[in-house]
Amino acid sequence: MTTQRRYHYLHVALELLKSYGIITAFIVLCVVLSIVSDYFLELQNILNILRQTSINGILAIGMTFVILTRGIDLSVGSVAALAGIVAASFATTSSIAGMPGAPYWAVFATVIGILTGMVAGGLSGTVVSRFRVPPFVVTLGMLSIARGLTLLYSGGLPVPDLTPRFRWIGTGEFFRIPIPIFVLLGVFAVSWWVLGRTRFGRHVYATGGNPRAATTSGISVGRVRLLVYVISGGLAGLAGIILAARTGSGLPQAGISYELDAIAAVVIGGTSLSGGIGGVTGTLFGALIIGVMNNGLDLLGVDSNYQQIFKGLMIVGAVMLDSTRRADSH
Amino acid sequence: MKLKMAFLASTLAFMTVSGVAEAKPVKIGVALYGLKAEFMQLWAAAAKNSPEVKSGTAVVTVFDGRYDPLVQQGQFETMISQHYDAIIFAPIDADAGATAVESAHTANIPVIGTNTRANTDLLTSYVGSDDVRSGYLEAKAVLDKIGCKGNVVIIEGPIGISAQIQRSQGNQKALAECPTVKVLEMKTANWSRAEAQALMEDWLTRHPGKIDGVIGQNDEMALGAIEAIKGANLKVSDFAIGGIDGITDALLAVKAGEMTSILQDANAQAQGSLDVAIRQVVGDSYKPQSAIWQQYPNMPWAGGTAKSYNVPWTPVTPQNVDALLKMRQ
Repeated sequence: MTTQRRYHYLHVALELLKSYGIITAFIVLCVVLSIVSDYFLELQNILNILRQTSINGILAIGMTFVILTRGIDLSVGSVAALAGIVAASFATTSSIAGMPGAPYWAVFATVIGILTGMVAGGLSGTVVSRFRVPPFVVTLGMLSIARGLTLLYSGGLPVPDLTPRFRWIGTGEFFRIPIPIFVLLGVFAVSWWVLGRTRFGRHVYATGGNPRAATTSGISVGRVRLLVYVISGGLAGLAGIILAARTGSGLPQAGISYELDAIAAVVIGGTSLSGGIGGVTGTLFGALIIGVMNNGLDLLGVDSNYQQIFKGLMIVGAVMLDSTRRADSH
Repeated sequence: MKLKMAFLASTLAFMTVSGVAEAKPVKIGVALYGLKAEFMQLWAAAAKNSPEVKSGTAVVTVFDGRYDPLVQQGQFETMISQHYDAIIFAPIDADAGATAVESAHTANIPVIGTNTRANTDLLTSYVGSDDVRSGYLEAKAVLDKIGCKGNVVIIEGPIGISAQIQRSQGNQKALAECPTVKVLEMKTANWSRAEAQALMEDWLTRHPGKIDGVIGQNDEMALGAIEAIKGANLKVSDFAIGGIDGITDALLAVKAGEMTSILQDANAQAQGSLDVAIRQVVGDSYKPQSAIWQQYPNMPWAGGTAKSYNVPWTPVTPQNVDALLKMRQ
């Protein structure tokens, strides 16, 4: 009897791990780090983690929309750099690097930056949905194009001297909590609502789950595919603006290989690369796990090379968990 | 008779070569390791706007190595098959760079090294700055400011790149002169401002109130550390912060009294290596055209055939910063 009960507990624990694996893993990681490091649970450190996670979190949430439709967006890092430097050129007081008439209102510069990202995403989305070119190829092209445009636009030089209003997006605080954290939570809340509570959200899942069935049930699959890239591009633009505001300069070499961390967060968060399954809650925790791990290993003074190994193990582990879960449900 | 023929032939050959060189501009390929950061952009701009190019003596094609030794190898193959007269080379990797230099050497094309090192003695000449020296100077500036006592952190460049290795050596040399100074942390932020910012935020949490100095192996990372200090609501003036390269943002930060920097002279490296390269093609009749030979009397032209030209570092001070900023416009 005891063996049976023990088996039962084990079974329940395993089930919990499978359904809430990501949250369990997150909690375990936090508990371990709070035991081994005295500084981990300090308010300032928690705020640091959240602030450091905000940029990858925002990119990863955009990436979630795309991956849910069976797509991928490899261009987010470059698009973030492009949008960041364009926005910065509207918000700088430097006469060399700025647009004529700069600095403009921070709100205006921000909107321009986000629009830049949306246009880049829209171009990728159009090619994906109209011309049926695989998303991997299209966004790989955009990765290169956006980086080239960034260097062309800036002449390879940073855009410094951003106005305090613009920098507030990256460095400001509200009740001692950094603004990027509010932006991340805001993006998360809206995305959670869009994916879970709106018709468009259902269409995103349907498009990724079974595109043919989605088409026959009257969903405009092409439109959905276009829009997810616009969302991803716009959020990459937003992330680039925060990055520029946080570092104090629009940097042409910003965001290199950020797409990989964003994809890692989505995958660790349990969204399936074959589309239709997952969501932004998992992604948020996926991004947090990466952030906590980087921070924890800094606090413990662990060699940065281990960080990459741990991240790699976690990505593969998460996908393994995902495939066993799906094998169970069949 | 035989001797006479040989003499005649070589004179003829020399005349054709010099005749060609005067009729057509010297075709120089510049293979830089990557154009994403400001320093190499300044380098490339200095080469394109050089007196050598403006006077029509040389035409310069810049190749972006995209931080990939394989890409640079391919660019060497291109330059060799297109018969460039000389190559100026800043390799991303010292050992892979050596292979590229060998292939050009086999094709009888002179290669002038610049900025970063290649592990080979087949380079015709090297026009660059000694990174051990800059690592020493910047660490010394930080240590002097904290009075040779207290705790420092070091933010390193990408591990294994020659600039990181040599600047680290220089850092350690300066630290050895202050044996009581403790290095609390040493980690890479891959030349990146954003990465250094996150790293410094974490260190400030781990060592509250204990960090006195920050040795950033380039300006970008030192600037990231400054942003982290500001973000933690600490006073930048309570820290001694050093960087290397003299990029524009760093010059502005020096002006604001937030850090020290050491200018690596992209202009002198670019125009100096161009003069040396042209001299190899044209011959000893060539007179260098760049003003940098007057600017640095400690780096004599020496007929343009020296194996190595050491472009001096210029510490950026509140006194010279305005003049340096003016040169950027």
